[in-house]
Amino acid sequence: MLRRTLIPGMVGAVAIGSMLTYAAVADNRSSSKQSAQTSKAGITLISGDAEDVVGDRERFVTAYRRLTETQYRNTIADIFGEDIKVEGRFEPELRESGLQAVGNAELSITTSGMEQYYGMARAIASQLVNAEDATDRFGCDMQASKTAARACAEAYFEQTGERLFRRPVRKNEMALNMAIWDQAAEQDSVKKAFENTLVSLLISPEFLFRSEIAERVGDGEYRLDAFSKAERLAFYLWDAAPDAELLKAAESGKLHNQAELEAQVQRMMNDPQFEAGVRAFFVDFLHFESFDTLTKDSQTYPKFSQAVADSAREETLRFMLRLLVEEEGDYRDIFTSRKTVINRPLAAVYNVPYASKADWANFEFPEDTARSGVLTQVTFSSLFSHPGSSSPTLRGKYLAEIFQCTKIPDPPADVDFSKVQALAEGTVRERLDAHRTDPTCASCHVLMDPAGLALERFDGIGQFREMENGEPIDVSADIFGSHYEGARGIGEYLHDNPQTSACFVQKAYNYGTGRPFDYRDASVLSAYEEEFAAEGYKLKPLLENVLTDPKFFEVVVPEGLQARSTSAALETDTAARGGQK
Amino acid sequence: MTNRFNRRSLLKGVLSGGTAVCLGLPTLDMWMNAHGETLANGQALPVRFGTYFWGLGLTDTPAGGSRWVPPTVGYDYEVMPELETFRDLKDKVSVFSGYRVIGDGKPNLVHWSGHASILGGGAPDKTNQMIGSSFDNKVADAIGQTTRFRKVDLAPCGDPKANYSTRTGNSFATPETTPLDLYMRLFGEGFQDPNDPNWKPDPSIMLRKSVLSAVAEQRQALMADVGYSDRIKLDQYFTSLREVENQLALQLEKPAPAEACSIIDEPEATPNSITVDVVNQNTQIMSKILAMGLACNQTRVFNMVHTPGTSTTYIKGEPKTYHQITHDEPTDAELGYQPETSRLAGMVMEGFGLFLKELDAIEEGNGTLLDNSLVMAFSDTGYAKIHSLENIPVFFAGKAGGRHKSGQHVASNGEPISRLSLTAMDLVGASPGEFGNGAMKTSKVVEEVMADPRDSAI
Repeated sequence: MLRRTLIPGMVGAVAIGSMLTYAAVADNRSSSKQSAQTSKAGITLISGDAEDVVGDRERFVTAYRRLTETQYRNTIADIFGEDIKVEGRFEPELRESGLQAVGNAELSITTSGMEQYYGMARAIASQLVNAEDATDRFGCDMQASKTAARACAEAYFEQTGERLFRRPVRKNEMALNMAIWDQAAEQDSVKKAFENTLVSLLISPEFLFRSEIAERVGDGEYRLDAFSKAERLAFYLWDAAPDAELLKAAESGKLHNQAELEAQVQRMMNDPQFEAGVRAFFVDFLHFESFDTLTKDSQTYPKFSQAVADSAREETLRFMLRLLVEEEGDYRDIFTSRKTVINRPLAAVYNVPYASKADWANFEFPEDTARSGVLTQVTFSSLFSHPGSSSPTLRGKYLAEIFQCTKIPDPPADVDFSKVQALAEGTVRERLDAHRTDPTCASCHVLMDPAGLALERFDGIGQFREMENGEPIDVSADIFGSHYEGARGIGEYLHDNPQTSACFVQKAYNYGTGRPFDYRDASVLSAYEEEFAAEGYKLKPLLENVLTDPKFFEVVVPEGLQARSTSAALETDTAARGGQK
Repeated sequence: MTNRFNRRSLLKGVLSGGTAVCLGLPTLDMWMNAHGETLANGQALPVRFGTYFWGLGLTDTPAGGSRWVPPTVGYDYEVMPELETFRDLKDKVSVFSGYRVIGDGKPNLVHWSGHASILGGGAPDKTNQMIGSSFDNKVADAIGQTTRFRKVDLAPCGDPKANYSTRTGNSFATPETTPLDLYMRLFGEGFQDPNDPNWKPDPSIMLRKSVLSAVAEQRQALMADVGYSDRIKLDQYFTSLREVENQLALQLEKPAPAEACSIIDEPEATPNSITVDVVNQNTQIMSKILAMGLACNQTRVFNMVHTPGTSTTYIKGEPKTYHQITHDEPTDAELGYQPETSRLAGMVMEGFGLFLKELDAIEEGNGTLLDNSLVMAFSDTGYAKIHSLENIPVFFAGKAGGRHKSGQHVASNGEPISRLSLTAMDLVGASPGEFGNGAMKTSKVVEEVMADPRDSAI
């Protein structure tokens, strides 16, 4: 249950999303996109009542967000090396307002999840201290005496702690680390001391959750602190924790400077790790968690296997990277492109030759193909189908929700479905006729079925077919008065519909803020949309635009923060927090 | 056994105050199972509690033609077609019909409101959320303190999201989804054979435990500068951390001998499929492992989700899923029900039968593990075709150590289904006195099935 402080008098206007109190935001750039809300030079003042909630705090946590599996894995690999194995199960994520990045803000860690994190922490620490080159990895001699090793340990944990927590380790935390180290060194060995202290860092809430911290910069004015900004950038663009350079920019406070922020975003997008960031975004955007439970009926779809499922997931991600990053193409072409990237198992499903000797190869369907971009890939075809049949309704529903941000309501609880008859004969179009003729059904199904039916030449795993139960499949669709034909037609429809690109912009923004769509973001979103169009719907300029905008780093005051001074836990040296008042 | 203060008065104060975590009640056992069986050495056998969930209800059409509600109430009820699977155990199973979810004006969130209300005590506002913690956690806090795992969650359907156990109302426990995962959790690292004559504490555990204690020390400091929803998140985190710490603490103590405990072999992998036969096969294997985990005192509380609310299980080779069929299949005019839906309901219930048989197969004291357990089984809906929240099928299986007067059919005329949740808690000695919110709030238990009404006993 998300309960946050309301801005008085605005209750009725909130359509979707949570209700938030925005604290005043200070930054060095006055944003042209926010003219309506700009009060004084360089300060975006959105709500005047934040002071009542925040009291005389210097700092507070705006949100805790659990790390995703890939964020965890990438962070461990970056800090400790690719060779360190991370074996364990991660708890499922929660999708809210179309994104797991938003739902994650609601999640905690349950006991079974903690057991897994604890097991992984122990395994990681054990691999590190038992590595042949442990001394090199730690920069400390594992065989040294307790007294000789202690100073080295302190330096190591200060440094490694900063990478893991994405901010300098606070004094009380450092004291805790060394208490753990001392105890193990005393009772066991120096090696055990390193091991146990690492375990403690790896199960700490400050590692497993991202805490975004607001700091006071003036009277009733707050901004995200520099480390929280760095963290947001790094997890967005790299799906991993900030590197040393970014942390340095945060530590010096330079990251609050617009030019430095822009330079960092550029640097990060030009880094090879950017690919991981793009992958993570599309994994979330396209509901790829559904792959975890995807099964198909082996009698109906003998060609389907786990290898096909894994390949399909990879195909779609490679396709996005090829079109949007490598070729710097137009986002809208993902619905129409004949290009893709396939491997041998997929070639069998697509019924095309695979000539390459490499594991993966670029491929282009012929000009007269019925296929159309992401819509007819094995991914979309199989994820939004039943185990033993395709589903125009599911495809139409997810097409609307994923690509157009149109939420399709659940069917009424007492609806009578029996007009939708058994599958034995005819095509699914006839069976879904009731959705069109029954007024209760039609109000929602008009948003789903036409597009879904136009994709019917692709079966429940994306194989092309022309007949169903011996009858030809009609793939015509009438959507809002226009006529479309087949997947190519739907691809054109999505490509040309402004709602498609607007939806992408909205999700790109909410993916980073971790908050659901809020009507107060409407003006900034339309500004992003205009720039997205002006730049030819390219991914990098969009991200650059969003991630360097002060609006993106706006502070939100959570409900239930008790008005009082900041507690000792967050009290640290101002300079160390990157604060430049 | 007589006591000056009773278990209820103690728990009432704690559990009614909201989130109740980390209760230091190691002596609770002395109140429990007062009427149950004892081992030869005089030690009381513990009572276990579990929930068993299956999706899509059972067939009971408005036009008549119930396939599960027995025509008579009381003992020796008729075994209806969809209950065939537990015919041999019917004396150990009570059937409850006619209970309902009262929504207090909230919408019927299809395939969610039903079980979210049974577990959470009130109609939820949103799918995937409950109004508070699910009651299995209250039971686990009361009777699960002394075992290695306070509770264990299982989903033989293989879906890691198929679990409805929550402390926060938002974060749900992650279930074990394969027989091997369940086996490793219960019998992998950290398992101590309760009957090992050569047991010795592992000295390294003390040091490991102190690491967890140190991390837990940050609790107060971190909770001070966060908002409401982050406090809940952190609270859950620290509760989980404490539970892992408790697991280590227990490894330092010599486990009490468990007569029925014997080590079983690691299971073989089963196919990755959600066809009914595979889900039932998983259910059987996982039930066997769970039963031994219970007999070996690894846990006393569990939640099993056979198939989730919108169950997409299906019959191999068939194009439609069970969920689709419940909605699409017309009611047969002559039979008065949906024949294919009813057939699938019977197949899905076979999982429940297999599960009960595994619990009943373990002999313990003068009876079986099932006799010393109470399993509350329920679904998300009554008549699935219309997502009905009326007449949601509920079964109590096992004798709860003698407290449950099992083998009865109890018919209600629309009472809130939270009464059954409260009754289940009471039967295992973990009653908070009252349960639920709004129209679902209740302090009345179903007396018919209580062998020894608590109020007169104490």
